[in-house]
Amino acid sequence: MTYAYLFKYIIIGDTGVGKSCLLLQFTDKRFQPVHDLTIGVEFGARMVNIDGKQIKLQIWDTAGQESFRSITRSYYRGAAGALLVYDITRRETFNHLTSWLEDARQHSSSNMVIMLIGNKSDLESRRDVKREEGEAFAREHGLIFMETSAKTACNVEEAFINTAKEIYRKIQQGLFDVHNEANGIKIGPQQCISTSVGPSASQRNSRDIGADSGCC
Amino acid sequence: MKREQEPKTAPGGAGEAGPDGMAERALVPACPKGRPGRLQLHLLSGEFDQLRDFPIFESNFMQVTRLGEVVNKVTMGVAASSPALELPDLLLLAGPAKENGRLQLFGLFPLQFVQLFVHDESRWQLKVKFRTGRAFYLQLRAPPETRDREFGQWVRLLYRLRFHSAQGAVPFTQEYSWLEDEEDEEDQEDEDGDLMEREELRDMEARLDPQSSELWGL
Repeated sequence: MTYAYLFKYIIIGDTGVGKSCLLLQFTDKRFQPVHDLTIGVEFGARMVNIDGKQIKLQIWDTAGQESFRSITRSYYRGAAGALLVYDITRRETFNHLTSWLEDARQHSSSNMVIMLIGNKSDLESRRDVKREEGEAFAREHGLIFMETSAKTACNVEEAFINTAKEIYRKIQQGLFDVHNEANGIKIGPQQCISTSVGPSASQRNSRDIGADSGCC
Repeated sequence: MKREQEPKTAPGGAGEAGPDGMAERALVPACPKGRPGRLQLHLLSGEFDQLRDFPIFESNFMQVTRLGEVVNKVTMGVAASSPALELPDLLLLAGPAKENGRLQLFGLFPLQFVQLFVHDESRWQLKVKFRTGRAFYLQLRAPPETRDREFGQWVRLLYRLRFHSAQGAVPFTQEYSWLEDEEDEEDQEDEDGDLMEREELRDMEARLDPQSSELWGL
């Protein structure tokens, strides 16, 4: 299937926060309560439509466990987007965000779009991190923020797609050099960059999902 | 329960690795010499810039159950993330995509967290086991005339990985207590308890050897 662009994403964050479950929900629309510990990198891919353009998201789901971290961080390079995930029921996963963010900033393009995700929003009774804290962290570090539930699928689509919209917006603004592979963007087969993007394309397409469906 | 076999020493096997031993060996067993395999072609397609230039040794397999029932097609390869490496350091798994059947890369796993065994030599079956305990069985898919030779290359490879690991003073096959597992197909809990932290990871630098032969003399 042809596409206008391919965006490379990485999913990062502590072990057990639901990174692989988010990917599975996004690519397969299902939830698997027990998931094997991720070793190395597992891949997922899905087409999305942004402003009438087909965009392939190539998603690198990385291992969160500390032991794997030095290895997986070598795969941050060339990512256009990152989903930085914590678990709203485990304060320590939120406390570790700064360290993950440092890693991400250090090993990837400065233009990389980072979406901060507070996952497991279905577990409201066990909440340990307030939504406002996530919002404040995101604001402070220039991230986009959403709370999601891989279990109920709440905001999962939106998290991936809003990240793609932001990347696309940066392409239109000329902030991303799509010919530089270090930026994690590839032009699709037989696409002509000079005609595929224009300022007018920034208008939101009716097929797109809203910024926040408000389900969480 | 069938036990995994220790790999047999083969001509050109571990301890005899060197440029001389590999010159007459096929580089990518699934294809004639010099032609990239399916996995390599997939990585060359342009969507995986970071993996594009990895030297790869790959074969096509059928995933089977422990008893040999066919599950699905898998292409497995080992790759070196640097041409300077003495041995491959990554395992790549790919299979047909659900939507169109085209080869799709599923995962990339550091070989230090993976063990390879000969599961059933008479059926050209390997066992791949992750350090988490997850395991699966692969039966080589290759033409009858090249199957034994190709399987032999995998046997040599896993011997070398084991031999290399043994140089680190901890035998590869006895490194972890779950080695002699009773059943591998049950999913392991995704525990937060740091399973990996119990083991001190070996220094990746130890694998660097600029004098190494390409594609590991298989």
